[in-house]
Amino acid sequence: MEMDRSTKISTRNLNLYYGEKQALRSITIDIPVSRVTALIGPSGCGKSTYLRSLNRMNDLIDNVKIDGNVLIDDVDIYAENVDVVELRKRVGMIFQKSNPFPKSIYENVAYGPKINGIRDKKKLDEIVETSLKRSAIWDEVKDDLNKSALALSGGQQQRLCIARALAVNPEVLLMDEPASALDPIATAKIEELIYELKENYTIVIVTHNMQQAARVSDYTGFFYIGELVEFGETRKMFTTPEKKQTEEYITGRFG
Amino acid sequence: MERHFEHELENLKENLIAMGNLVENQLDASYRSLFEGKVDLANAVIEGDLRVNEYDTNIDSQCQRLFALNQPVAIDLRLLMSALNMNRDLERIGDIAVNIAERVRPLVNYSAFLRSTRLPEMAQIAQIMVKDSLEAFITSNPSLATRVLESDDVVDGLDRNIFYRLVREMEDQHVPIEPAAHILILSRHIERLADHATNIAEDVIFLVDAKMVKHNAFEGDR
Repeated sequence: MEMDRSTKISTRNLNLYYGEKQALRSITIDIPVSRVTALIGPSGCGKSTYLRSLNRMNDLIDNVKIDGNVLIDDVDIYAENVDVVELRKRVGMIFQKSNPFPKSIYENVAYGPKINGIRDKKKLDEIVETSLKRSAIWDEVKDDLNKSALALSGGQQQRLCIARALAVNPEVLLMDEPASALDPIATAKIEELIYELKENYTIVIVTHNMQQAARVSDYTGFFYIGELVEFGETRKMFTTPEKKQTEEYITGRFG
Repeated sequence: MERHFEHELENLKENLIAMGNLVENQLDASYRSLFEGKVDLANAVIEGDLRVNEYDTNIDSQCQRLFALNQPVAIDLRLLMSALNMNRDLERIGDIAVNIAERVRPLVNYSAFLRSTRLPEMAQIAQIMVKDSLEAFITSNPSLATRVLESDDVVDGLDRNIFYRLVREMEDQHVPIEPAAHILILSRHIERLADHATNIAEDVIFLVDAKMVKHNAFEGDR
């Protein structure tokens, strides 16, 4: 049992509406720092919407209205003076479908740091190498950094996207179904990577794969029709969940 | 949505219940052979253990298959873990029925002596514990299971009582040594019987009461 692990992200009574339709209902969660938190639930339950609200990706969608609070390190990210670009640097995102730029492997990783004003070639080389090492793909690509990222396999592309996210030195990584398009071996590599990354990053992952949530996460939140049904330590959720609904979902009896 | 896996779990429960019935019958027959001096019945118990072992093997492989293919969690996981434990306890109860049956021949001429001890009383309590623990499993009844746990202390007390009384009577040369020694061993067998019933009852509490409140509370007491 972990009692005093400090909170990285805290949402308080978070409501989100797509036009008239309410997609999140008063979600209150404390996401612990340097841990993996998994969000599970059937399609349409709000888990991806919740994830996207953590770096204001929902701002890009028309008709979205949000109330309640999202605090990162106790600062409300929806406050007026918040620089969204700066926020998304701190809170990186990995998507289901890997989306490398149609550039070289090197350029994909160096892109973010360059935009942030780093010009020194040596410094960029160093960032690229470190990021590729941290995302456990360095050994596979180090001799071929000028090759097009699009020539990599799906699993390699996904790890490259993680490297790209790491290159701008984020504090939080949001992952939306990061392994659902990958074969079991590539999936296992991503899962191992998540396990290693949590030492230095706070990770929130949305997954449809219950066993994956059980394997990689320390905490799990179960969403159902826009509500948070249960949140707690993963080891407890998968052995003795508090709520009947959680038990029925994780044992596959509904959903 | 009903799933194939749930049918398999139902089938596993049915197998455990059938094994429980068989073991109860074996135990009952071993008691009758002992207290009524029926050597033929004792032999039937010894032969009947093959069927108990068959259930043991089948339930083990059924659990192994269900674990491997379904990655069970929560209530399903607890059922499979309990099933493995219960299977082992039931198999051991079957072995104890055989152990009892094996003492029938050497005690066949000492039934009055046997009845003069508190062994019949102890045997009956242990038998009720076995019956109640299985009933608690079948009906998912943790309070019945808790009663089983409470009876275990009574059986332990009787075991000690029988031991010291027989030892004293042997020292005083009031009783024949060889049958008295057999009865001492029987007393230990029956004490173990109650322990296995206790294990099953604990599994029922683990299975039904996801929070394991009663289980922990009870462990705290002991």
